[in-house]
Amino acid sequence: MKRTTATIAGLAVAGLLLTSCGRSDDAGAGGEAQSTAIADGKAKGTIEVWAMGTEGEKLGDFVDAFEDANPDADVKVTAVPWESAHDKISTAIAAGKGPDVSLIGTTWMGEFAEAGGLMPTPEGLVDEADYFPGAWQSTEVGGTSYGVPWYVETRVLFYRKDLAKKAGWAEAPTSWDDLKKFAEDLKSKGGAKYGLNLQPGQTGSWQSYLPFAWSDGATLTNDDGTEYTIDSPEMAEALDYYTSYFDDGLSMTRTLDPGELEGGFADGSIGSFISGPWHTGLVEDAGLDDSQYAVAPLPGKDDGMGTSFVGGGDLAVFKDTDNADGAWKFVQWLSQPDVQQDFYDEVGDLPSVQSAWDTGELSTDPQLKVFGEQLKEAQSPPAVPTWEQVAASIDGLVEQASRGDLSGEDAVKQMQSDAQSIGTGL
Amino acid sequence: MSASTGVVDPTRRGQAVAGWILASPFVVLFLVFTAGPVLASLGMSFTDMRSTDLRSPFAVQFVGLDNYVDLVQDPLFRKVTLNTLLYLVLGVPLTMGVALAVAVGLNGLSRSRGFFRVGFYLPVVTSIVAVSVVWKYILRDEGGLLNAALGWVGINGPAWLDSTSTALPSLVVMAAWRNFGTLMVIFLAGLQTVPREQVEAAEVDGASAWSRFRFITLPALRPVLLFGAVITGIGYLQFFEEAFVMTKGGPLDSTRSVTFFTFDQFGYGNYGYAAAASYLLFLAIVLLTFFQFRLLRTKD
Amino acid sequence: MTQTLEKPAGTATPVDTKPPKQRRNADGIRTPGWLYVVMAVGLFVVVVPFLWMIVSSFKPESEVRAIPPTWWPHEVTTENYDQLFTRLDFPTYFLNSAIVALAVTLGNVVFCSMLGYALAKLEFPGKRLLFILVLGTLMVPGVVTFVPLFVLTTNLGLTNTLPGMILPFLAGPFGVFLMRQYILGLPDELIQAARVDGAGELTIFARVIMPLCGPAVATLGVLTFLTSWNNFLWPLVVATSEDKYTLPVALALYAVGQNATQYGLLLAGSVVVVIPVLVVFLLLQRYIMQGVAMTGIK
Repeated sequence: MKRTTATIAGLAVAGLLLTSCGRSDDAGAGGEAQSTAIADGKAKGTIEVWAMGTEGEKLGDFVDAFEDANPDADVKVTAVPWESAHDKISTAIAAGKGPDVSLIGTTWMGEFAEAGGLMPTPEGLVDEADYFPGAWQSTEVGGTSYGVPWYVETRVLFYRKDLAKKAGWAEAPTSWDDLKKFAEDLKSKGGAKYGLNLQPGQTGSWQSYLPFAWSDGATLTNDDGTEYTIDSPEMAEALDYYTSYFDDGLSMTRTLDPGELEGGFADGSIGSFISGPWHTGLVEDAGLDDSQYAVAPLPGKDDGMGTSFVGGGDLAVFKDTDNADGAWKFVQWLSQPDVQQDFYDEVGDLPSVQSAWDTGELSTDPQLKVFGEQLKEAQSPPAVPTWEQVAASIDGLVEQASRGDLSGEDAVKQMQSDAQSIGTGL
Repeated sequence: MSASTGVVDPTRRGQAVAGWILASPFVVLFLVFTAGPVLASLGMSFTDMRSTDLRSPFAVQFVGLDNYVDLVQDPLFRKVTLNTLLYLVLGVPLTMGVALAVAVGLNGLSRSRGFFRVGFYLPVVTSIVAVSVVWKYILRDEGGLLNAALGWVGINGPAWLDSTSTALPSLVVMAAWRNFGTLMVIFLAGLQTVPREQVEAAEVDGASAWSRFRFITLPALRPVLLFGAVITGIGYLQFFEEAFVMTKGGPLDSTRSVTFFTFDQFGYGNYGYAAAASYLLFLAIVLLTFFQFRLLRTKD
Repeated sequence: MTQTLEKPAGTATPVDTKPPKQRRNADGIRTPGWLYVVMAVGLFVVVVPFLWMIVSSFKPESEVRAIPPTWWPHEVTTENYDQLFTRLDFPTYFLNSAIVALAVTLGNVVFCSMLGYALAKLEFPGKRLLFILVLGTLMVPGVVTFVPLFVLTTNLGLTNTLPGMILPFLAGPFGVFLMRQYILGLPDELIQAARVDGAGELTIFARVIMPLCGPAVATLGVLTFLTSWNNFLWPLVVATSEDKYTLPVALALYAVGQNATQYGLLLAGSVVVVIPVLVVFLLLQRYIMQGVAMTGIK
């Protein structure tokens, strides 16, 4: 990886002259073996860590405990803005001079692992079964795990308890039919203008549509992740169900402005919506307390809990690290249930390790329990390098379907053909 | 090089040496930070390079013109090309018209001109992210400022940014607001070079304000207008920021521009494809500039 | 070119490049009262978003997010500014922004003047080609160079350094074009006279030409400073540690979270970011007008 100014000139020349050099198949991920187990003992040396957002801000002080336990180790945390994180990590991988450990958004794992930048998780570092299965799924690219889930988030139903009571609902709905009825009642009897607000397309709407598809038993790829299986009756049915909320006037057909959702929820014009844990804070800032609103697991198609989306962040170790031992030990430390719980207390990130939910506030708070329950029934999108692009296509088609320009069936057909031409990138 | 002609004029030699000494810092920086990347990008556009190839950039496949062929056939690329042309044909006249009107107005003021000039220039210096918050409030459906104003005259305004037919023009208005200041300064400077004697003579002859403007001011401004049209045109062909902060390219990609598309493709890691798209944009800019020079220069 | 430039040829002292004071409206065409009204209304419409930004930066976060939006704060607070100055290492970011913007401005002024002069007044082999290259570069859209530049910077070891944010922008084609056009309008006799006096070419540039370029330098300086000060995308990518952030990057990091944006903080930050640019513009606007007027875009 010793390249200097010549790179650019070289790139240009290569582009012009390159005729015969092909891409070697072993460049990236897929079928790579897990790294060998790390040795016992304490971590040593400098461990550079990148983390984004609040995690990046708070982690710096949080690691004191690790340094106390490993006196020879020095953890240096750099806070990276989310906006630039993706570009920074890809350049770091290209240049071979990244940090030792980084927080990686779950949907980026495929790309960075395929780029050959991440080190497979060492054998025996952690036990897969300790984690929420959907979260673990996000670390696996082509059958190999390239990191460890750090924190998770999932989507649940937020609803106005008081309005629901007025509309005759003491409990949250638990099936699609009930959910529809619930939204209608919130509108007609509860006084809400919109019963259940859903995202009518635009960036990230796949995160709100796919849970319905998963709840209906749809899958996005085949078992070994090599082929897309988006064009299915379940996907189409879920999309039709999803868009019916717009057709029936139960959801706004436009994308909401910042603050509009919380504001509308607080003043009762929006009866319910689906979102993640950060919304509890926003809703309470908007002036609601838990006597007025509640959260509930997503309803399944038939009676029971539906499948939600799990997102969050994974911890990965860069292949170019010169302190793999220390880096993985740090990751291991962050995965201990008590550390995960402490980190929750500090930052509010939901632990990815299931046993961290067994004690303390996480086990008693009724709202948190809902998230904990839902996490057991949640999936992450396929960890393929091209996922962002496939997701953008899904977003666009959800939007078309929501506006009534396409039927569910035609939309998922188009999603399938888009995804096929984009490929998995593996 | 003419060094072999025998007779070497000492000043000429001095000039040549001085010329290159003066040029060298720029040339070095230009070669490293502009020419190099421009060529690298051109090279990339003929390969199937993806972000996952960054560690071994020489191991990519040469694909010839495939990226370009795919682009021309890509329905989304066609759509963003059409959008970009719309930005161009709506944005350039609007921005130039507003800038010219304000400049003429400013030029007619005898006092407080500096105050007005700074005021009208303000949008240029504000940060787009902050301004987007304000503009969203202006353009929104319920509680929006614009619709509230329209309501007074009995018009029920739409959700400007949520309809495929009004979102793009709304962004053009916002872009014109943000960009007319620079042009205004240029036009105002141009207006001050309009020969005063001619204007006064015409006034004495009883020419109306409009005909004075039409037959004296406008022709005198032609070169400034050409310059303005070229830089504004180049700007609108690269339209991106307003759409990025306001609509994320929606609804239904109706505000997505070529630059936006290219950044998307970079984001997806399709470097070769993105590079090809950026080169088509480059080509469009060259053509437009050439065309504008042809069109506006003829009467010189 | 403007007639004023032609009279006092041959002196090495700065020529008075100011056009005669434009009082033509005071003595020539009268300014009708309605024009002030029209302009005032227009100005109001144009600055409303800006005013809203300033006023709203004194609202608490919940009020900034309130729907329908309020015009005047129901509750005036400086909490956004407090947060801006306490939570953010403001002096560092400010200093970084200033260093980067000033270095880029200085580089453009010096290097572009040098080449601009050479292209305008000197004969040397390769001159035509250079000028064509400069013009051509004016048309290169930013997206074309973005990724290669990114890879290059990394390989030069310039990520997370101020030079990494400065070098790629140190000499732009626009500056060369502007300076060339301006210097082209300066009389050749000045240079000839200096040559006769035995001045070297570089001396002529430094001692004769540069002192005459005030308005053009002011124009280029302000436009470059403005662009560099507000530049966001590039520093965001290059700066990896907090001590290297520029103001816009720091704002993006702290105000724009992953799921929730702190609009109040963002508005307060934007107000603070705008101030230096505004001051520079206010101080130099007279020169800019002259500079633009005389770049010979006519």
